[in-house]
Amino acid sequence: MNHITLTPPDIDEALRYMGTPPEAADNSLRALVEDCAQHLLVTAQPRWTYRVFDLSFEGDGVRLDSGLLLPGHALRDHLSDCTQACVLCATLGAQVDTLIRRSECIDMTRALAIDCCASALAEQLCDKIEHRLQPLFPGCHFPYRFSPGYGDLPLEVNTPLLALLDAPRTIGLCATASHLLTPRKSVTAILGVADHPIDTHKRSCMGCPAHHGCQYRKSGGHCGIS
Amino acid sequence: MEFRELLRGDRPVLLDGGMGTMLQNRGLKPGEHPELAALAHPDWLFDIHRAYVDAGAQIISTNTFGANREKLARTDKTVYEVVSASVAVARKAAGGRALVALDVGPIGQLLEPTGTLAFEQAVDIFKETIAAGVKAGVDLIFIETITDLQEARAALLAAKETCDLPVMVTMTYEARCRTFLGHSPAAAALTLEGMGADAIGVNCSLGPREMPPLAEELLKWSTLPIILKPNAGLPDPAGGGYDITPAEFAQSLAALADMGIKLFGGCCGTTPEYISLLKQELDKCRVANVHRSVPAAICSPTTVVPIDRVRVIGERINPTGKKLMKEALRRGDVDFMLGQALAQTQAGADILDVNVGLPDIDEQAMMVRTVKALQGITDAPLQLDSTAPSVLEQALRIYCGKAIVNSVNGEQAVLDRILPLVKKYGAAVVGLTLDEKGIPKSAEERLAIARRILDAALAHGIRKEDVYIDCLTLTASAEQEGAQQTVSALRMVKEQLGLKTVLGVSNISFGLPARPVVNQNFLTMAMVYGLDLPIINPNVDSMMAAVRSYHLLMNVDTDAREFIAAYADAPAAVSTPATGTRALDEIVRAGLKGEAPAATRVLLENGTDPMEIINTILVPALDAVGADFEAGRSFLPQLIQSAGAAQSSFEVLRAHMSNDKSNRSGQNTIVLATVKGDIHDIGKNIVKVLLENYGYTVIDLGKDVAPETVVQAAKEQRAALVGLSALMTTTLKAMEDTISLLRKERLSCKVMVGGAVLTEDYAKQIGADFYARDAKQGVDIARQVVLL
Repeated sequence: MNHITLTPPDIDEALRYMGTPPEAADNSLRALVEDCAQHLLVTAQPRWTYRVFDLSFEGDGVRLDSGLLLPGHALRDHLSDCTQACVLCATLGAQVDTLIRRSECIDMTRALAIDCCASALAEQLCDKIEHRLQPLFPGCHFPYRFSPGYGDLPLEVNTPLLALLDAPRTIGLCATASHLLTPRKSVTAILGVADHPIDTHKRSCMGCPAHHGCQYRKSGGHCGIS
Repeated sequence: MEFRELLRGDRPVLLDGGMGTMLQNRGLKPGEHPELAALAHPDWLFDIHRAYVDAGAQIISTNTFGANREKLARTDKTVYEVVSASVAVARKAAGGRALVALDVGPIGQLLEPTGTLAFEQAVDIFKETIAAGVKAGVDLIFIETITDLQEARAALLAAKETCDLPVMVTMTYEARCRTFLGHSPAAAALTLEGMGADAIGVNCSLGPREMPPLAEELLKWSTLPIILKPNAGLPDPAGGGYDITPAEFAQSLAALADMGIKLFGGCCGTTPEYISLLKQELDKCRVANVHRSVPAAICSPTTVVPIDRVRVIGERINPTGKKLMKEALRRGDVDFMLGQALAQTQAGADILDVNVGLPDIDEQAMMVRTVKALQGITDAPLQLDSTAPSVLEQALRIYCGKAIVNSVNGEQAVLDRILPLVKKYGAAVVGLTLDEKGIPKSAEERLAIARRILDAALAHGIRKEDVYIDCLTLTASAEQEGAQQTVSALRMVKEQLGLKTVLGVSNISFGLPARPVVNQNFLTMAMVYGLDLPIINPNVDSMMAAVRSYHLLMNVDTDAREFIAAYADAPAAVSTPATGTRALDEIVRAGLKGEAPAATRVLLENGTDPMEIINTILVPALDAVGADFEAGRSFLPQLIQSAGAAQSSFEVLRAHMSNDKSNRSGQNTIVLATVKGDIHDIGKNIVKVLLENYGYTVIDLGKDVAPETVVQAAKEQRAALVGLSALMTTTLKAMEDTISLLRKERLSCKVMVGGAVLTEDYAKQIGADFYARDAKQGVDIARQVVLL
């Protein structure tokens, strides 16, 4: 059940990550990104794992029933309607990092395209995982996935979250001493589970915890995720 | 009974089973640190160990899988406390009936290049755990569940440098017979046996039924006793547990004694019941005595290159006679060599020679940086080439896999210095047939030196298959009778000593016209005489053509597949692209990298001064693209493509310019780094490409760079500008620290910062002089503060 087949990443999304409005991309750039996307697709080795936890709410965060406290108000508010959460992590594998490093030595445009396609592909992987997980909770409702680094949920929780999921052993996903995920094209996320309908606010720029420093907003655009 | 006695004879050796699940069954709570069981629940731990001993385990593993300082940092216990308590419980439970192995699991962080943990840091972390285990009195060391061959090497080296106890090493693989990082069992076998492991194998990951292909690879590429310690089957898709019964586990695993497997046990999901049934099955078995001999081969962690046909060693990463490489080395520009590496493997090199020796640089530091960077981008094994033993030792330490050391010769002092390093790090070695008296004229004398080198290697415990002999090419224009002696010596070494041979080929034609013809023919001659490892420039097609033709004609290249693949569309490849039809400025604006060098050459041939080309064509063209970018008429990819085109033009110009013009240092130098703790560096790399194309000398310190390193480089290079990048909010602090340290050291350089999470205000707040919103702005800032 764990195997997920990826399809080529959304080229428009990759172009936006590359700082190019999709409508402004000419055929040759589009062809280059498509070629990079194919190359990436055969290189990526998607792996993922998850666990379900009961939640309890405290003044300074949300506690998983393993005992781990996920600190901050942003996640607590985000999960306020939920009784459970799936904690999941996913990676495209170390070979993608190697591909990007190698491309940087040959052609920086390709490297940028592969890097951006990989970001789009990681997003696709998470969407597909979410589609696998939602049916496990029939009749339930889900707010959008929330990751360390959003709002006041610190990246520091990556390390204990990965340990909780046994991710280094089961999917080869680790955190560095400064709590960044390696391999680089990887995600940790918390998917709340509510047993009653909730106000699923769409992701928007103003609601996005990253909006202060967002590079797309800085240049007058948006990332395309909504 | 000692471990090495257990290994004698044809009886299988039984290890224990899973620990984590057993502790959970006893009541270990999720989130509780299992390593602390010896302190928190010694009775549980004793019972588990004792149950395995009662089940028949001859070696039990201590509950110290995560007992390293990184993982224990989350507890209030020290490595010493945890290890000594765990060993004491295991020792008591063993009661003299089983040996006690110190269990050493992975650190939990990835090593460079995928992660940020440095190799020597990893060695140090393992040494602390192993020293504690040795002090507590374990019988052997068991390094297990490793997915990165480099981490296995770090742990094995730590064990070897801490104690004389036997060491078992097992790694964990996926069903496609690779680790998560893509490392192969064959590479692990070659590397770990070379470095002195006593037994190697597989644990965790898969069930017993998935073991045979892995076992086969290990048996093929190693002569050591093989360990299989699989999980209790594959995870059950219905969730919870594994898909086979204890009886099935025992039967399918014990059956592998027929393949020649010596040590058996269980990993996740296995219990004393599994081990007890496994013992019953193993009692009926004898370990098959299969003939095992490992062919000559070297490897990177992902690729084994057996020397079973001609294998090409690319010679281009060597500054001798290469002006651009010398400049790159003096600048500390590793990227230049990475480009050389990829071009050579693309052209067909199997192995890359790496020589970074220049009299005026720190060869050791440069060698380590280069080897690390190369292994981050290429799968080709490396030949480490230096005359300095300290350089070779540091390169061998950091090299992941089985390398070739280039070289030793018949001089006793050289053999005494280098061969112990070859042995310690499990490398292969090139022996040059010369000694203190020089290069002997006759083939017989060279054979005699080769014999001496072989004897010395054998005496140091290096196996014969790992000695490659270089019979030395002499320049035909100076010593015309030499070529014949070289190939005769080659044949003698091959036939009389049975050794693999290596030869630098291109020297033969020095001083002659039509050098490529001479080189190609000499190469063919040498291959017919038995040359295995030509050291050549693979980018010269006539040389690769000789190798491919040889393989075709000697029936090595079955059905001529490789030959046809290389040459089927050769006519298209040799047709020259249209050149000079487009003006250079147009080419740069359009970002046509492939056309830029030819157009630049046309301008140079017409007598245009290189500086004039830069100032009147390249820079204005880049400016025009930059202006379009700022106005939103073009975007980042176009900017980079134009920069790439300008860069390939620059390369032509640089080769053409006199040293004083192309090697201006100090005033125009910019130091770039992605700050400590951050690993997202593609933005910084884009800025680098752009800056270089405006003619700045860029010193790129890479990612995860400590403040001290930035300060040191800024000082040494007398940099006018330092650029720092950070992607994550958590690493902005490191950016601030770096700026404060630069200020504290009173360096006159300006500082620009950039990265997704930065803003103009924040940049000011942390004391930066400039905030670069994007790569183009980075260039504008450089032009404001740095003189060209």
